[in-house]
Amino acid sequence: MPAIQFREALRAAMVEEMERDETVFLMGEEVAQYNGAYKVSEGMLEKFGPRRVLDTPISEAGFAGLGVGAACCGLRPIIEFMSWSFTLVCMDQIINNAANIRYMSGGQFKVPIVFRGGNGIAHQLGATHSHRMEAVYSRIPGLIVVAPSTPYEAKGLLKTSIRCDDPVIFLESEKMLGEMGEVPEEEYLLPLGKAKVEREGQDVTLLSYGRPLQRVVRPAVKALSNDYNIDVELIDLRTLRPLDVQTIVDSVRKTNRCVIVDEDWGYCGMGAGIIQKIQKPCFDDLDAPIEYVHSDEIPVPFSHPLEEAMMPSVDRIIAAVQEVCYK
Amino acid sequence: MPAEITMPQLSDTMTEGTLVKWLKKEGDRVESGDKIAEVETDKAVMEMESFESGTLAAILVPEGQKVAVGSVMAVVATGKDDPAEVKQQAAAAGPRRARSGPPATLEAASTGEIHEADYVGHVAVATGQQPAGPPLPKLPENVARGVRVRISPLARRMAAEKNIDPRTLLGSGPGGRVVVQDVLALTDTAAARSVPLPHPGSGQTQTVPVTKMRAAIGKALQSSKQRIPHFYETVEADVEELSAMRLRMNQMLEPQNIHLSLADFVVKALAMTLLAHPALNATFNGIEVTRYGDVHLGIAVAVPDGLIVPVLRNIHLMGLKEIRQRSVDLAERARAQKLRQEEMSGATFTVTNLGRYGVKEFSAIINPPEVGILAVGAAEKRPAVRNGQLVARTMMSLTLSADHRVVDGAMAAEFLRTLKQFLEEPGMMLVFA
Repeated sequence: MPAIQFREALRAAMVEEMERDETVFLMGEEVAQYNGAYKVSEGMLEKFGPRRVLDTPISEAGFAGLGVGAACCGLRPIIEFMSWSFTLVCMDQIINNAANIRYMSGGQFKVPIVFRGGNGIAHQLGATHSHRMEAVYSRIPGLIVVAPSTPYEAKGLLKTSIRCDDPVIFLESEKMLGEMGEVPEEEYLLPLGKAKVEREGQDVTLLSYGRPLQRVVRPAVKALSNDYNIDVELIDLRTLRPLDVQTIVDSVRKTNRCVIVDEDWGYCGMGAGIIQKIQKPCFDDLDAPIEYVHSDEIPVPFSHPLEEAMMPSVDRIIAAVQEVCYK
Repeated sequence: MPAEITMPQLSDTMTEGTLVKWLKKEGDRVESGDKIAEVETDKAVMEMESFESGTLAAILVPEGQKVAVGSVMAVVATGKDDPAEVKQQAAAAGPRRARSGPPATLEAASTGEIHEADYVGHVAVATGQQPAGPPLPKLPENVARGVRVRISPLARRMAAEKNIDPRTLLGSGPGGRVVVQDVLALTDTAAARSVPLPHPGSGQTQTVPVTKMRAAIGKALQSSKQRIPHFYETVEADVEELSAMRLRMNQMLEPQNIHLSLADFVVKALAMTLLAHPALNATFNGIEVTRYGDVHLGIAVAVPDGLIVPVLRNIHLMGLKEIRQRSVDLAERARAQKLRQEEMSGATFTVTNLGRYGVKEFSAIINPPEVGILAVGAAEKRPAVRNGQLVARTMMSLTLSADHRVVDGAMAAEFLRTLKQFLEEPGMMLVFA
């Protein structure tokens, strides 16, 4: 299998789906003539022409709404946001319109649309451009929320998302786009709503998704195995809504311990929502409270050392795992 | 709402107490913390405090009367209660169990689900040292209600499955939380408990639940000491020659990586002695004595929070090398709690050795149905008289505890004389082997 960049995997998914289905099109800021703010859509304008790869003004509310309307009328738009932080100005289009039209119209309209872009704390983008939006969207019935952690996951999940008849929130990270990973040359799809047990283990279940998996979780799991003799079962959640509760519960019932890692704030954060889903079915199986490793509850600092310090680290994850293992 | 004042349980064994004297009378104003009565337990007379403020509406138990734990003795009218009405209702109901049941039945306590509301009307005991301020139900809470068990859900479920009362478990988790490893330590043969208790600080007390092993040891030894008329005889053996012989032998055995201890020689000599004195190599069921032609020797091994007695079967057939290897193996597995049941039963006699702690001599409790046990002290240089001269010799004290129902003093003395001879002249063992 060839190793390709995360951005190439995303592009391959979009290209394949646009070749397969002429109703699919890409729209967003700088996606066409500039070849993408982060070069995800490089070459796509040339390949598909200006009718299917469209530059938009800097107006998220405008082009998100346009996309919802197009989806209602039978097209399959892919809307690229330069940052999910910018969707704070188009939440009405996403939450009120995209998520609810199918329900409100009694099924007369469906909204097959993918909103995708960089989510979370990238690197010195400051407080207003570093929002982690997953918990905001994962609580909305009618939306599907996907957060891939590798190029393989990115391609397989984006293709399925484009074919999905409901609106999909597709969360990437600017910091992940250059990461390499093996991706099959032949076509494949990955299911939505299905977590992946990335590493089987006996001692503790570790849940994470998206960028922190690669940044801190996988290194922590390695250290726990090598230096602490703790056998971690690592689960990449992949889809945050609908959450694959069964896979999580099965694992926690086996290990009797659970640690969740994300870069959200703790209170009402993504991990807090996951705890709400699993603490009851797992209550009698838990030997320790569920630990949640999250970012500090402060505005995200511009300073690099402070930005690093507020986020989950390998050390924090190891400490949390030790705590639930009573080791 | 009227609050009931009940007889508190002040010790595990207390089932009733005597109401010695009322310090308040009906109609008196009672403040929370006021002493209202004197109660006599099986141990002492204590003053009882009220938790409630109000009017002592009804006294249901006269002075001098014995009252079962948990029974209502008086009722306090609180808030807007009409004392007369409360008295009337209380008098109609008479002395009885408290509405909420006794302070802590085993069931209630073992669930750990004890709510403050269940304890309306209980009383505290004034010890005199208690500081002023709102009275806390110290004694009743800890003793009678059962301490609320901090336990993880998984450990709680597992304890329930294994029929273990969670209150008997020592928690090793944060804040003393009982976690699953604590349950396993008690039941699983794999994990021996290794968490030492912190020492209580000055002014603190510590409640240590009794483990199953502790309870079993306690029951067996109490029964033995109460039922069996023990008597004790001690001899001092001169093991100077034996010690020198051991050193020479260990030098010769070094290439084989065998290192014999003095205890191995004692065990060997004891096995030979038992063969020569079958009256001690016996069990007694209260009706008849069974004597054995083989020696199965129980060897007491200290383990964390208790002791285990693995059995060396047919030790009379073993050489010192085999005794060494087998006793080390049994002791190690005993400490790891990995012995099978059959390796801990069927002894015909038991030996216990505190020599390595430097104990000069001690007497042990017989392990029924055996009829004797030998307590081995430390081998040490002691002054001895040889040929009229005071010399330093390596000496060892051995104390036999025997069951006087089936063993007499002279029999025990003969047994010890043989043992002493084997230890002082090891070659004598060859004569009978």
